[in-house]
Amino acid sequence: MIKASNVTKIFTGRGQVVRAVDGVSAEIAPGEVVVIIGPSGSGKSTFLRCLNGLEQFSDGHIVIDGVDLADKKTDINKVRREVGMVFQQFNLFPHKTVLHNITLAQKIVRKRTLKEAEEKARQLLVKVGIGEKESEYPSRLSGGQQQRVAIARALAMDPKVMLFDEPTSALDPEMVGEVLDVMKQLAKEGMTMVVVTHEMGFAREVADRVLFMDAGKLVEEGAPEQIFSNPRHERTQLFLSQIL
Amino acid sequence: MNPDNKTWRAKLLLAVILFGMAAGLYGATLKIDYTWRWNRVPQYFVYKNEELHKAPFDGRVGKITRQGETAVIELIGDAGEKDRVTVDADAVEVSEDDLLFEGDTLGATHQWRLGPLTLGLWTTLWISFFAGIIGMVLGLITGLCRISRNATLRGLAVTYVELVRGTPLLVQIFIFYFFVGTVLNLDRIVAGIAALAIFAGAYVAEIIRAGIQSIPKGQTEAARSLGMTATQNMIHIVLPQAFKRTLPPLAGQFISLIKDSSLVSVIAITDLTKSGREVITSTFATFEIWFTVAALYLILTGILSQVIAWMERRLAVSD
Repeated sequence: MIKASNVTKIFTGRGQVVRAVDGVSAEIAPGEVVVIIGPSGSGKSTFLRCLNGLEQFSDGHIVIDGVDLADKKTDINKVRREVGMVFQQFNLFPHKTVLHNITLAQKIVRKRTLKEAEEKARQLLVKVGIGEKESEYPSRLSGGQQQRVAIARALAMDPKVMLFDEPTSALDPEMVGEVLDVMKQLAKEGMTMVVVTHEMGFAREVADRVLFMDAGKLVEEGAPEQIFSNPRHERTQLFLSQIL
Repeated sequence: MNPDNKTWRAKLLLAVILFGMAAGLYGATLKIDYTWRWNRVPQYFVYKNEELHKAPFDGRVGKITRQGETAVIELIGDAGEKDRVTVDADAVEVSEDDLLFEGDTLGATHQWRLGPLTLGLWTTLWISFFAGIIGMVLGLITGLCRISRNATLRGLAVTYVELVRGTPLLVQIFIFYFFVGTVLNLDRIVAGIAALAIFAGAYVAEIIRAGIQSIPKGQTEAARSLGMTATQNMIHIVLPQAFKRTLPPLAGQFISLIKDSSLVSVIAITDLTKSGREVITSTFATFEIWFTVAALYLILTGILSQVIAWMERRLAVSD
């Protein structure tokens, strides 16, 4: 599904050169749930954002469903339709109702009719548990509800992969559960997911594989049991001892 | 003290101060021995125009038939010609069988006409309207160029904005009328509207640029991650939000535009200000006319700010 090889992202500015992502290679199979963990500034979000071209990587290759993002002829907009993304700050469109948030891209990107788009949106709203909020504006919803709308918005495009960039980090603690539940359900249904998170419980329970990143490098990867109970690398041990 | 009481006192104080200022103004005019003639003002808004009807040939008056407000006068010429003239019933100046010579006044008709102040107000209104629309489009394009990745477009936008903001509007109007107008053979109205539009466009561009830049990056990222193109993102996500945020400064800009439109009177466009000046030359009611002109501008700008306040309230539903 996704094949990243030697992906490197270099930020330059004020005479400094930062290798935010430094030669990361990873493969994600269809239906797999991969969780990326690591300390802040380790480049895990940047790597995730490279996967749908929100960050242009400086070197390496990312191939999604047979399409090479580094190829200049690739239409990135076509790739992005197949790759849903959920953000830390939800990024709902504040000037549109919940329903319009979900139907807009279906109409103008997927070229669906209004009726099809609304039907799909309502189905998904029921699925994420907020069917009754379709005519509200995002500002009237709680953080957890907003994030669930954001998930529905991404799912409405029928993506092949879903990327989650710290989806629960901006939520009040009591709302984390409702968002994680939706994500767990998605994983159960066989969605291919790449999740950057600090929710170790989620990683342990849902992930097929856990990647640990530090200082832009992929330090260690493995099954969740192995990473959490028996980390091989010293930095992984240190990180886990600090947060668990 | 309860808050109701407090606002009541503040309002009273405001009323006293305003009344004091009005009284001061009145006192000042007493001191300079000026006779106020407000009764002269209304006729410059609408007036009754009198049109005299004259006899077309020598002869005599035939029958006069009165029907309500009008009267029909039959004319019989010396050479046997016949004619009918319709005038207002209360303005008939001949009687039946009167002898007539060509050019005699038979009577008059009266019609309501718009006076120069009304016509000037109308001119100001539509000049501002077109200059505003064109200025908005120009400002939107320039604002988008200003944040474009293309350095040439950015440079052009900056040059335009700096040139216009750095020179007085009055000078720009002269340049437009005398130079651009001559080269392109522009009508004075076109030159005036163009100068105003280009002036407003530069300011609108800066407002729009700031508005677009104030929209969080996450909005664009969300739109693009759904597969929207940069243009779709701009049209559906960024601009609607930017428009809402920039509505108050845009309102200020368009109110300025209405007031600045008074400057086109220097190239002999008969707008409200020029009409006012013309009326003064024939009445010498200098104070009254200028106060009236000011009040008319105030009405225009007041309506505009009410319309924009209404739009702001409507857009606030998503807050």
